[in-house]
Amino acid sequence: MGRRTCIFFISLFILAEPVGRSQDTVTVPLHVRAGFDLAGPVMKLVNRDLISYGIVASADINSSLAVTAGFRYSSFNSSEVIYDFRSRGLSFTAGTDYNFIKANVSKGKYYAGIGLRYGLSFYSEEAPMIRYTNEWGAGETSVPLKRHTGHYLEITPGVRTDLFPGVTVGWNLYMRLLISAGAGKDLKPVWMPGYGPGTAGMSTGAEYYISFTIPYRKIKVYIKPKVRESEDEENEGDQTNTGTSTSGSGIRF
Amino acid sequence: MKSLTHILLPVLVMVLCLSSCSDQPCYEETDPLMNTVLLVSGTGELAKADSLRVYTYRETDTLKFVKVTGASSFSVPLDPASDESVFMITLNGVTDTAWIRYSRRPHLVSPECGYTIVSEITGLNTTHNIIDTLIIENKSVNLDGQKNLHLFY
Repeated sequence: MGRRTCIFFISLFILAEPVGRSQDTVTVPLHVRAGFDLAGPVMKLVNRDLISYGIVASADINSSLAVTAGFRYSSFNSSEVIYDFRSRGLSFTAGTDYNFIKANVSKGKYYAGIGLRYGLSFYSEEAPMIRYTNEWGAGETSVPLKRHTGHYLEITPGVRTDLFPGVTVGWNLYMRLLISAGAGKDLKPVWMPGYGPGTAGMSTGAEYYISFTIPYRKIKVYIKPKVRESEDEENEGDQTNTGTSTSGSGIRF
Repeated sequence: MKSLTHILLPVLVMVLCLSSCSDQPCYEETDPLMNTVLLVSGTGELAKADSLRVYTYRETDTLKFVKVTGASSFSVPLDPASDESVFMITLNGVTDTAWIRYSRRPHLVSPECGYTIVSEITGLNTTHNIIDTLIIENKSVNLDGQKNLHLFY
């Protein structure tokens, strides 16, 4: 009796083994990153009115989520026929990045995902010369220097990859949605540092950045195996059919 | 990863191109006008003046803003260089003078169009040769095109 019970439990373990084998884990390093935006200095060559320097930092929470923060200094100086405008200030962004690439593929090296950030811009603006013309004639006026605080949301799809160990390169497209320029409806900034044109509800652009990465922890991530139910069912179906046909053929023969 | 980069790279180039192509002409209205409706004194019905002239005298010249027939409203700009504008209003051949006082502030129309001067009417006076009453309906003289004054005669 005892021998039979032992064989029964051994059989259970043998049967249970494939279930245990279907679970898989990968070890993924979590990183902290700090880098700088190259697009700002490059864009200075295209748009001489704008100076923009940005640094970014992020830390992985798990294999797909990272907290991120950015800091940017911008200065805009435009001299048109009808007005001169200057703004400068610091902007801060904070939010999260979500990596769509699975942990067993990304291995902590690759990122293709989307980020959502909240942005704050502390800036000053002034219009030293405003030229106007109407039926009364032409004239000039000015807007003195004033400080404001602007708010915006940033959605950033992007990609990133390891250039070599410890260094990653990547770029983000960004779509910024203006919550408030903080300057009232009359004196919306021609350029809000960190955001873009303050008269537009949405601004788009791109950042290209180089980051230095340091792994700070390793985690084990459970990878759900691909269950190929249809195949299994087909196999089961085939077996059943085979059995039937076998038995059928058995009957025939 | 490479294919993803290949897909997104042209988008990046396009965005950069679009962001650099920002020199556009101005298509927006940039002159705020003070809009005045003519009404029949007593009934408040819309009036139609046989002839209407609105103008102002300056040291060196006369600025003619309106000269129409069969008008029931008119629009004139306020002097952006002064806190008061004086208008001579000739209705059906009878002239009155109106003094409009206001505060001014710059308003950004758009980066392409630049700034304009919008005003808030703070007070007014008029003679009463033909005008019975001139009242402020909406004190904001801006680019919204709202009616600002009701002129009863």
